[in-house]
Amino acid sequence: MSVQESETPGTQGRAYWLRRGIMVAARLPIFVMAFTFLGIGGLAREAGVPLGVALLSTVTIWAGPAQVIYFGALINGVALPAIALSISLSSIRLLPMCVSLLPVLRQSAGSRLTLLYAMHQVAVTVWAESIQAIRQIPPHGRMPWFMGLAHSLVIAALLATWIGYTLAATLPHAFAAGLLFITPIYFTSTLARNAREPIDWIALSSGFVLAPMLKGIVGAGLDLMIIGLVGGTAAWLWQKRVRRHGAHL
Amino acid sequence: MTPEAWSGGLWPYFALILFGFLPSEVWRMLSIIVGHGIDEKSELLEWVRAVATALLAGVVANILLTPSGALATVPLVARVGAMVIGLGVFALTRRSVIAGVAAGEAAIVSAAWWFAG
Repeated sequence: MSVQESETPGTQGRAYWLRRGIMVAARLPIFVMAFTFLGIGGLAREAGVPLGVALLSTVTIWAGPAQVIYFGALINGVALPAIALSISLSSIRLLPMCVSLLPVLRQSAGSRLTLLYAMHQVAVTVWAESIQAIRQIPPHGRMPWFMGLAHSLVIAALLATWIGYTLAATLPHAFAAGLLFITPIYFTSTLARNAREPIDWIALSSGFVLAPMLKGIVGAGLDLMIIGLVGGTAAWLWQKRVRRHGAHL
Repeated sequence: MTPEAWSGGLWPYFALILFGFLPSEVWRMLSIIVGHGIDEKSELLEWVRAVATALLAGVVANILLTPSGALATVPLVARVGAMVIGLGVFALTRRSVIAGVAAGEAAIVSAAWWFAG
């Protein structure tokens, strides 16, 4: 992005890549995070937990949907073990996300502990921003780049959680709807921006095709696993076929 | 002792770690074991990436189909319409995520305002 550094790629140090990661976050993702976590802060306040718990949920759970489940369930008086189960189901999606980033980050991780810490930072936004871009970065720069991106988003989310909790003002109705809509529109455009090959497009559209089909047939959590496995496998098989026969989509 | 007896103090923090953080985190930690030994350029990794993409699209589709809170008051047609507008602008602006998000947001906020009135 920046033209100040005129060195050839691959020779820059870790500080350079850290800065580049922060710059990626500053473009749009930190604002998306901020808007999402405003709502989560407000929800935590409604659930009656201390501010510290709201902030701790952002750095520990670090997954918007799971946090919404947690505080939403507290409000509705759901038993804690039942909350734990639905959170675990909703977070299954983190497994393929982490697994797909792991081999790309491994080389620059240094230690296993760093790698564990990096995996903890993986959430939907972090994944969507890095899965395509990180492969263009020389291996030694990947971990600092990733950490710069992830930590910028964590800080933005923490600030927004705090503001949302403190204000907890009843948002104007239309604005509240807009906050909830930011996740679908941002992720769909980001996934579309990431898409390069047929495999990406098929995987992306299969989610939209399969979700309505499975609605009401299988329970929450399980339907997502089926969508991921069926849609992902179909996309992957198609890609293999295209490569073998040189066919066009 | 019931959880109520511990309310206040440190209990809400312990509850969050036990019933919120750990059930979620287990999948991230598991990835270290599952992903161990997968090569960066392998076909297996390509498959995992496709699974994650499809899964994420499913999450988004579910939010559109069965939203919660204020978004639920906007009819399905308008929710899908706002999505189409956002993605249309995204495509017309040569894949600008910012333009797509801005257009989609403008559409949904107008729709929410219209249908609330």
